[in-house]
Amino acid sequence: MDTLNDILFYVLMATTCICALAVVLTQNIVRAAAWLLFTLAGVSGLFFLLGAEFVGSTQLLVYVGGTLVLVVFGVMLTAQGPFVNMRIGAAEWAIALAVGLVLYGVLSASLIISKPPQSDLNRHVDATMPDSSVLGASLLGQGQASPTGFLTGMPPAMRRERKPMAYLLPFEIVSVHLLVVLIGAAYLARAKRRRAV
Amino acid sequence: MMNLLLLFGEHPGWFFVVATLLPLLSFVLILLASALWCAGRAYRNTPGGAALFNLCGGEERGRTAAFVATGAIALAFVFSLVGCIRFSVQQHSFETAIKQHEKALHEFAQKLKEAKGEAKEELEAKAKSEKEKLEDQEKRWADARKTYWQGHFDWLRISPKGIADADSGTVLQLGFKIDSLSAIMFVMVTFIATLIHVFSIGYMSDELQPEVEDHQVHTAHGHLHRRGRFGRFFMYLSLFCFSMLNLVLADNLFQVFLSWELVGVCSYLLIGFYNERQSASNAANKAFITNRIGDAGFILGMLILWTHVGTFNMEELFQRVRAPLNDTHGAVEGVAGRIVRGNLDPNNTTKAGQRFTIANDGSDVLLFPHRPPEHYHAIVPRVAENPKPDQHGSMPYWMLVAAGLGIFLGCVGKSAQFPLQVWLPDAMEGPTPVSALIHAATMVAAGVYLVGRCYPLFTYDALLVIAYTGGITLFVAATIAVVMTDIKKVLAYSTVSQLGYMMLALGVGGWVAGLFHLVTHAFFKALLFLGSGSVIHGCHHEQEMTKMGGLFPKMKITALTMLAGVLAISGIPLFTGWYSKDAILAQAFGFIYVHPQHLLLFLLPLATAGITAFYMSRMWLMTFTGKPRDEHVHEHAHESPWPMTVPLIVLGICSVGIAWGWPLWDAEASFLEANVHHAQYPAVLADFGHIDYSLSEHHGEYWVAAKDEAQNERVFAYRNHHLAGNIAFVLVAIGIVFAGAIYWKRVLDPAEAKEQFPRLHAFLMDKWRFDRLYSAVFVRPCLIVGHWFAAFDLRAIDGVIHAVARSAMWVSKWDGLFDHHIIDGVVNLVGNTIYGVGARLRSVQTGFLRSYVLFLVLAAAGIFLALAYFVRMAMAG
Amino acid sequence: MTFAVGLNHFLLLGAFLFVCGAVCMATKRNAIGILMGVELVLNAATINFVAYAHYNPIFQVEGQVFALFVIVLAAAEAAIALAIVLNFYNNHTTVDVDTAEELKG
Repeated sequence: MDTLNDILFYVLMATTCICALAVVLTQNIVRAAAWLLFTLAGVSGLFFLLGAEFVGSTQLLVYVGGTLVLVVFGVMLTAQGPFVNMRIGAAEWAIALAVGLVLYGVLSASLIISKPPQSDLNRHVDATMPDSSVLGASLLGQGQASPTGFLTGMPPAMRRERKPMAYLLPFEIVSVHLLVVLIGAAYLARAKRRRAV
Repeated sequence: MMNLLLLFGEHPGWFFVVATLLPLLSFVLILLASALWCAGRAYRNTPGGAALFNLCGGEERGRTAAFVATGAIALAFVFSLVGCIRFSVQQHSFETAIKQHEKALHEFAQKLKEAKGEAKEELEAKAKSEKEKLEDQEKRWADARKTYWQGHFDWLRISPKGIADADSGTVLQLGFKIDSLSAIMFVMVTFIATLIHVFSIGYMSDELQPEVEDHQVHTAHGHLHRRGRFGRFFMYLSLFCFSMLNLVLADNLFQVFLSWELVGVCSYLLIGFYNERQSASNAANKAFITNRIGDAGFILGMLILWTHVGTFNMEELFQRVRAPLNDTHGAVEGVAGRIVRGNLDPNNTTKAGQRFTIANDGSDVLLFPHRPPEHYHAIVPRVAENPKPDQHGSMPYWMLVAAGLGIFLGCVGKSAQFPLQVWLPDAMEGPTPVSALIHAATMVAAGVYLVGRCYPLFTYDALLVIAYTGGITLFVAATIAVVMTDIKKVLAYSTVSQLGYMMLALGVGGWVAGLFHLVTHAFFKALLFLGSGSVIHGCHHEQEMTKMGGLFPKMKITALTMLAGVLAISGIPLFTGWYSKDAILAQAFGFIYVHPQHLLLFLLPLATAGITAFYMSRMWLMTFTGKPRDEHVHEHAHESPWPMTVPLIVLGICSVGIAWGWPLWDAEASFLEANVHHAQYPAVLADFGHIDYSLSEHHGEYWVAAKDEAQNERVFAYRNHHLAGNIAFVLVAIGIVFAGAIYWKRVLDPAEAKEQFPRLHAFLMDKWRFDRLYSAVFVRPCLIVGHWFAAFDLRAIDGVIHAVARSAMWVSKWDGLFDHHIIDGVVNLVGNTIYGVGARLRSVQTGFLRSYVLFLVLAAAGIFLALAYFVRMAMAG
Repeated sequence: MTFAVGLNHFLLLGAFLFVCGAVCMATKRNAIGILMGVELVLNAATINFVAYAHYNPIFQVEGQVFALFVIVLAAAEAAIALAIVLNFYNNHTTVDVDTAEELKG
């Protein structure tokens, strides 16, 4: 099974990476939107691979189904002739790529050189993840959702025991946040009312 | 008017007060008129201003000011004369009555020795009633003096708040007290001042012109032209007269001092009347400064007396310093009227005070109570530290000496005595009438008058100093006068010399003689000065006798009146000077008879009598007789107008006859002297009379009561008046003959004498080198020290200041540079740097969203690197 | 050295997506293109959360919860950003971010 998972991972990873690169490299905004769609889909595939079905489905629903549609709407609303293809200079490309490479070098180097913190409880890719009911219970703070364990590689002072936590309040804050955002977006995007003078 | 007359009837002393205030009124009037004139002159082109201007005299103001001043002083003379006569009459009637009662008492006492039985009882009863009458008369006379002839009011009262006792405060009083001396002085001053005023109307007529040319002042545009100052002159004269009269009037030292200073100011103004002339302004300064030296002493003396005795009122001062004259038990017999010396015994102290032991050479002086007891049973020798009005006090003897010498120093300055005589000859720079006024009636008389007034305050030592000062002065001044050729300088030195006579007389106890001479001298010296003024006026302001001569035919009135003055000052019998000067000589003679060690005090005035006769004759002969020395002067000489000759004639008559008495040839019979005599302080007799000064004999002919004739100088002097006078007369005659031989007959040549004694002549011409001495000892050191200070000021202080300033400038310059370059530089650098950085960073803030993203990414990379580094460090750590 | 897929693989993928998003933001002149870059960056973060949740059991709930938060926030952000873009378009009749340089220093 490990092998299948690995293959799936590499396939999905390659898809995602290529699509993301395509988003960056393509000059046509409509195409970029399409490439982004595939990227997001690839990412949700990876979530499924990791066993986080709820997150993966949410990704599909919200991102692919919601956010991206929004983006496409935006593209369509503004995609008039000159704006579909807007090129930038080669020098800018060079600078942006150099900076991006530096950042990637730094990030990957730091990942490789400094081991990411591990807990003493290790799990394999195929291991089961808590399902949505567990997530819901943990959001309500019922029971200890995550097992107690210690992170490795951290300074001793940061070593601490996990405690049961309720995520209901953040969840509520997020939902209210969303409401506000949506109302704000509707307000911003509404048609200008001309005042009769 | 009736009220006024009643006032004078009840308070005849007010005659003198009014006489004093009249010149002040004149002064104020002229001053106001001048002020109005000045105010009007500025607006004389406007109608109102012109009216005011013309009302005050217009461009040519005329003689109004002179008439006001002369009228005021003449009226003052009338008031003084009336007051003097009233006083003399009253005094005479009382004294005669008292003398009669005393005589009767004396007779009863003689009879009582022989009488027996009933006759004795009867006599005793009569004697008792006589004695009561005598006491009654005496009391009435004392009351009359107090109510009629005295008065004062508080002028300034400075009492600290919260002090219930009014006596603790300082009280300065203005008041008047008339005795026969001040009455005579009043008449003398106002009379001579009136004549001088009249004389001045003629003499100062040049000043009437709107523009006066002063030939003695050279400016870049020729002689100085200035406005005439006729009114100003008379204004000053009025103030001068007021000051002098107020001085004579005063009953306290403070008022005297006020007038004293006013006199000084007026003399300054008048000597410097021609203030454009350098010599006049120098002379005025010299007079003023020299007088300041004396006044410093006067103030010190006053302060000493104020501190120790606690009053300025002269009568109270005398009462405290001098022992009472009488008592019922004879306790003060030995010391009556004297200054009582003794020692304080600190070991014998009670509540009432320390015990005072009377001793002739004691270190302290007994101060008698403010409020004397009704009867002295004895001098209570208990001295309280802070005496109440009815308690005795004490003061150190040397303090009293110092106070006396201090007051005398003031008089030395005013009366131009050695060593402060230098100002008087220079004061000749003033107009001649001023010289006459200063020399005869006012300023120099003030010093002698004050010494006479304050006589009871002088101790024996102080009096000796006074006598010697007078002796030295009279001789020195006379010798200088011999060689002077300026007619006014001769008179100036003769004045100094005569003042020396007066001081000497006062010092040796000739109180009456000295003040008598003061009065007579005032007349003949005024005459001589006005005469010289007439000569100068006639010779067109020529003062050198070497250019005169033979003026007699041209100015007979002047010459004859001056001759009277010369004879009077020389002491020719029957002229006024004879009475007074011989009295002085007799007094000195009596003094050296008792004190042979002070022989000089007789020899000096005796020799000077001859010298005086010589130089006065010389002056007259050089001026009026012989051939003219300068034809030019002689040609233009003329007799003066009547306003000048009339005063000369009047004064000439006075110089001859003012001192006459009956019989005429009796030197002791002078009526004037007898009048002065009434004012003599008992202290004089106590000091020099050696008389038993008890009550019964006080008012009698005191020399009759002398117990020991050999010890009684006054008696001896009287007996030898004629002897001294004769010796003096011989010398005077020699002097006159000598002068006649040299200057009239010209048998002897004065030039020869000059050649034979060149050094002596130069020495005398140099005024005994006093001016040089003072110049070398005081003036030049002062100037040198002044120059030092100036140099110090200029070099050191200014140098330091400049150095400080310069260093401050230098420092501030560097500070400025530092500020400018370093601090500003740093601030600018910071500012510029930040500005530059900002300007550069500006370009970072491109406004392009995408570049921001790039920076974000770079920053994220940087943060990662840093975090990685720090985490590694932390891990490694 | 094993090639077995581990946490590092996912983190490297996340880093790659992140860099892609960043470069996308830096190179697109179109405002919506930039919005896409932001979505990529957020996805990179989500991948990291979920990867941790998977490989580190003590984060198994928290990782997913925060991933969900991020997704929701990304949606909100997209809505807001699109509204801004539309407004910008209304005002400037363009979506070229290079013309939005009023804040240039």
